[in-house]
Amino acid sequence: MAVQWRRCWRGHGAVRGAIEAVCGVNRRAVTVLERGAGAGGLVTEVLLPVRHTHTSINPSMFTRSRSRFLPPVARSCCCCCRIHSDTKLKDPFSLAQEDLKNLYEDIKKLLVSKVELKALCDYYFDGKGKAFRPMIVVLMARACNIHSNRGGDLLPAQRSIAMISEMIHTASLVHDDVIDGADTRRGKTTINEMWGERKAILAGDFILSAASMALARIGNTTVVSVLSQVIEDLVRGEFMQLGSKENENERFKHYLEKTFKKTASLIANSCKAVSILVNSDPEVHEIAYQYGRNVGIAFQLVDDVLDFTSCANQLGKPSAADLRLGLATGPVLFACQQFPELHAMIMRRFCSDGDVDRAWRYVLESDGVEQTSFLAQHYCHEATRQISRLQPSPERDALIRLTELVLNRDK
Amino acid sequence: MAARSRLALLASLGPPRRGLRSLSLFSGTSPSSWSKVVSDAEKIVGYPTSFMSLRCLLSDELSNVAMHVRKLVGTKHPLLNTARGFVYDSKHNLQMRGLVVLLMSKAAGRSGSPSDALLPDMISGIYPSQRSLAEITELIHTAFLVHRGIVNLKEWTFSDGPLKDMQFGNKMAVLSGDFLLANACTGLAQLNNTKVVELISSAIGDLVQGVYYENSNSTEQGKLSVASWKDQVFLSHGALLAKSCQAAMELARHNTEAQTLAYEYGKHLAFAHKLNSDLQPFMKSGSGPAVFSLDSAPVVFHRLIVGHEIWTHQMHQAQNSTTQTDFSKLWTGIRSGGGVKQAVDLCTQHGNTALEAIRRFPPSEARSALENIARAVTRF
Repeated sequence: MAVQWRRCWRGHGAVRGAIEAVCGVNRRAVTVLERGAGAGGLVTEVLLPVRHTHTSINPSMFTRSRSRFLPPVARSCCCCCRIHSDTKLKDPFSLAQEDLKNLYEDIKKLLVSKVELKALCDYYFDGKGKAFRPMIVVLMARACNIHSNRGGDLLPAQRSIAMISEMIHTASLVHDDVIDGADTRRGKTTINEMWGERKAILAGDFILSAASMALARIGNTTVVSVLSQVIEDLVRGEFMQLGSKENENERFKHYLEKTFKKTASLIANSCKAVSILVNSDPEVHEIAYQYGRNVGIAFQLVDDVLDFTSCANQLGKPSAADLRLGLATGPVLFACQQFPELHAMIMRRFCSDGDVDRAWRYVLESDGVEQTSFLAQHYCHEATRQISRLQPSPERDALIRLTELVLNRDK
Repeated sequence: MAARSRLALLASLGPPRRGLRSLSLFSGTSPSSWSKVVSDAEKIVGYPTSFMSLRCLLSDELSNVAMHVRKLVGTKHPLLNTARGFVYDSKHNLQMRGLVVLLMSKAAGRSGSPSDALLPDMISGIYPSQRSLAEITELIHTAFLVHRGIVNLKEWTFSDGPLKDMQFGNKMAVLSGDFLLANACTGLAQLNNTKVVELISSAIGDLVQGVYYENSNSTEQGKLSVASWKDQVFLSHGALLAKSCQAAMELARHNTEAQTLAYEYGKHLAFAHKLNSDLQPFMKSGSGPAVFSLDSAPVVFHRLIVGHEIWTHQMHQAQNSTTQTDFSKLWTGIRSGGGVKQAVDLCTQHGNTALEAIRRFPPSEARSALENIARAVTRF
């Protein structure tokens, strides 16, 4: 027991250190995580000398139901919003709907090309996507506009950023699917499966060039730099995914950094871009960026959890897809602290016979899923803390509400 | 990893095999005179090496790829040859586009516009931003070569070697191409000129459209015309050089007229060069080469001259004996027709248009070098 506890604790320390190093989280947020980590390792609760400070979370609360999973701080924050008026906390999707009307049509207008290329480019802009990124971007834009006393109206350039964010995201999906050899995406046959790998990659390049042109037409060099960073991060993130680290501490740091680059950078920098377009205060840019970064990382952590918990067809891809691709995500890395047998499997990227099944069982036996969820919650809490620094507005509150939706989504 | 060992790693891929798809697009003209034209030109622009591509080559990411690409040695994935080209291609070819952009920048000089004073100092007559642009042009060109070498896995056959190698080669090609493109994007952003970002981004789109165009041209034979051939060559070969030359003028705040001239020079030089390299297999006497592209200019023009029926007949005859096309028979047929002459004339025409454009700039060493390049690509 004691040996296992020590192993857990060392692990949590490593995670905490990594988060601090990678993300520069402030002390308060880390304390929340620490508590969570303590509650997560059931054994720890008994052994930690400071357990009396943990009364707010106890192991019995620790069920799979994620609504009961919110830390007290995040909850109290939502409560104060509710005090104003419950109806004010509008659903982010309906609040953004008006701005996102015709978004996909407008994107398709940017993709000017001949018949075949046009068909490939338009393929994923069929209006059936969640438009998750554009939604955050327009809500952030309006929240920043109100904060800057510019009224809530969306600037045309801000709407362009919403479109560009979706285009960059789609272009990267097209390339990812070739790299992973995926045959379905969002319930559709992938472009590479339909038209071949070569055309798929070139179509991805084409979407990127159209996005880059739209970005340039905004005419703001800072905004161009901010979003070019995203493209670099996406590629570096993909490269990071090729390698695994031998050292446990480094491995977690690597994972969080990769998660930032592959998922969060796009959201963070798009949010920053819309804030730059309306406000010259660097502090506002930082709030927008930090909100996007934290929500983005949380979004991906939940995605990694769902890879283990959701049924095969809910996410539009088979479960344990990451393991099959040789990727060790949050749940596996946490599980490895309890089951060191996973270490060798992680290093050989689950390529031996039965590795995927064995790893899968270890993860579900461990509290890796809970720990990852808790980490996601921590990032959402930080996102909420950041965005709360803006002047109140329905859009700002919708962004707060969105953090809950990110945690509670099941697909 | 030290820079030296990284290069050694790349070098371990071995020299390029002759007869395989060459990375070089400027390899057509007779070697001795061409080398002289290029090496003279390189002296004019200061240092010829592209630091940005070197930085990419020596980055952790690409040396990682190089490590992986070594596994591809012995397979038939096209990435291997492209990667060999990074190190082994006869040095004058890989960075030709960059060289033309640098010469054009130097030939145009200062604009004398009011905002000119705000620009940083020139280094041997070229602004730092123009040097970056030249490097970005090379990055985009290389990224595109890597991406267009991606293999369709469904077309895989046993003769291509293990499917796993092809999958792996594709993965590396996607990643390294993306890496080069991403570096081009961040490099573009640092130029702090959104007009240039838009112009060069559109050139990336043109390159993609060119490939799609190529495919549709060779499948739908009925639609073939000189106009569609021109459209395709512009997209695949002319757009990047033309737009980069124009962008170099924009970076020095030159007016629209100078921008148009630079664009015209880049465009027509690319056309002349494409025609020149397409013509190479038809310029030798004696027997024809083992293989040549059926999409090359002399073949396309020949098909248009003789008409669909005769062409189908000639193709049929060439394919009669064996399952493989007898290219020497086809070669003789094409050489005796008017397609070759038409291509030569067109090459000269484009070369002359490029010369006219560059002669509107004030005389200088750099201008002479650009004139020499335009003349060299029309020489056979």
